[in-house]
Amino acid sequence: MTEHRIGVVLGGAVAVAALLAPLVLSRSHLTIYVLLGTAAMVTVGVSLLMGYAGQVSLGQGAFYAVGGYTAGLMAVHDLPPALGLVCAPLVAALIATLIGIPIMRLRGHYLAFATLAFQLILLSVIGQLEVLGGDIGLQGIPRLGIGPAQLSQPRSYAWLTLAGVALVLLVARNVITSRAGRGLRALATSEVAAESSGVPVARYKLAVFALAAAFAGLAGGIYAFFIGYIAPGSFPVLLSIQFVVMAVVGGLGTIWGPVVGAVVITILVQVLNALGTQPGMPPYASSVLSYAVYALLLVAVLLFLPRGLLPTGVEWIRRARS
Amino acid sequence: MSAFLTYLITGLALGCSFALVASGFVTIHRVTGVVNFAQGTFAVVAGLAAGALLGRGLPHGVAEVAAIALAGLVGLAVGVVAIGKRGTPPLASLVITLGLGILAYAIEIIVFGDQPLSFPGLPGAVQVGPARIQSQYFLVIAVTLVTFAALGLFFGRTYLGKALTACAANPYAARLAGLNVTRMGLLAFALGGLLGGLAGVLITPLQPIAFDSDVALAVNGFAAAIVGGLNRPGLALVGGLVLGVAEAFVAGYLSGSYQTEVALGLMLAIMIWQAGRRLGVAEEAA
Repeated sequence: MTEHRIGVVLGGAVAVAALLAPLVLSRSHLTIYVLLGTAAMVTVGVSLLMGYAGQVSLGQGAFYAVGGYTAGLMAVHDLPPALGLVCAPLVAALIATLIGIPIMRLRGHYLAFATLAFQLILLSVIGQLEVLGGDIGLQGIPRLGIGPAQLSQPRSYAWLTLAGVALVLLVARNVITSRAGRGLRALATSEVAAESSGVPVARYKLAVFALAAAFAGLAGGIYAFFIGYIAPGSFPVLLSIQFVVMAVVGGLGTIWGPVVGAVVITILVQVLNALGTQPGMPPYASSVLSYAVYALLLVAVLLFLPRGLLPTGVEWIRRARS
Repeated sequence: MSAFLTYLITGLALGCSFALVASGFVTIHRVTGVVNFAQGTFAVVAGLAAGALLGRGLPHGVAEVAAIALAGLVGLAVGVVAIGKRGTPPLASLVITLGLGILAYAIEIIVFGDQPLSFPGLPGAVQVGPARIQSQYFLVIAVTLVTFAALGLFFGRTYLGKALTACAANPYAARLAGLNVTRMGLLAFALGGLLGGLAGVLITPLQPIAFDSDVALAVNGFAAAIVGGLNRPGLALVGGLVLGVAEAFVAGYLSGSYQTEVALGLMLAIMIWQAGRRLGVAEEAA
């Protein structure tokens, strides 16, 4: 079998398994499924941004929050929830474009701190705005639905999330394989070289930033409808860092890497959570374990598998076959 | 008038603690080109350790010095992981220090617990005109000024300091001159740890510190450090003082809840202004 065929078969098997999984999962497992899916959606954007545009964002949780609040606010004010879900990525992309015009001129660590600062400012502002529920948050967000048809089962949200992940992956794939994608890869290596070859560097960087924000916004919208309650505390800085960890661990600049990263990290954290809440463990055990795992995985992957799990794994298989 | 003086002096003291964190950023960035995200962690470790040691009955002075030394060791350890392996690009090192900062959360919670902690600083208060101000604020300002003077002498007058500066200016030439650039980088990390630790020990009596206070400290310190382009300690001191006073006035005259927006907005404005003046080519070559 050629490599491409193996990829297609594997991808198909994963897709079928993901499609059937909600039928057999329990309620609490469905919650994990939805959270994993939304994290994967955001992480695909982070991976595009870091792997292709060469930009680190430590504020992706901010766009997740923008999406969540857009969807939640519209739904709470009796607008059709489906419209809210459509607007969530649009508003996130719009805000990313507006703040991106100044801050995408920054590079490397400056951009990392600027995006982090943006998230801190946003959370602080949300906490003070009465319209957005302040620090208490938005409560009683209605279920997603069109007219009388409502998604009330957690299972339907799992499928909705899966559809969201599929959409995000499809868009990301099309962007990367397009002419613009080649331009992006060029500017990741050297902006000057890309610029002089006719790549509109500034515009492309801004576009990827907005696209990554749109992915995060869509994920945030799904999250808001699924949980039904959002507050500034739902979107801590640690969440943004978690997306970076997932992207780095899975493999930057690949389409499936972020999904692998999200799956690996989420499952590990869940296992550790189960371990940490065992009787006899101190009350802080589960948070300590998850901090330690984020950190150790991130550092180990950066030092020893800088390309990430997925590309390294593919390389090993390729070497074993030849 | 009394309120004005209080805000001014508390703002200066707050700004001094930012400047100390900033000097750690600057020391490490100058020599290694790495922006150390765990800079706030050093302050947190020292603050928590000093509190814990004082709680065990160690006298003042001994506990603080031990805590600062611990922060220096932590700095060295972070340096070993972040730059110890050859060929780690600076941006990867940034993300590694971010990871180490989170690892520190786990360790800090196990060792010190997850509750905010404080300890009494210098007792008493000083009458300044109409205002009474805690002595600790003056201690922070005095120690910071002495530290910056010492840093200036160290970098300008000592062999080791000049060697560090040489590594910063041109690592390749420094290596040709027989300097071990990696070892100098580790030294810079240890020094950065000590400076961060000093900030933590000084600030903890004024505002309680918890394991996750590092983000606020790091962001404020970074904001101060970028005033000097991450390379000049003197300008970082100016940046820290401006930021501290601005935050204290905003908190005092407007509302405490706008403090974050002002500090971060100022930082974004400075960065964007600097980016506008810099030539893209020069930045990329570095």
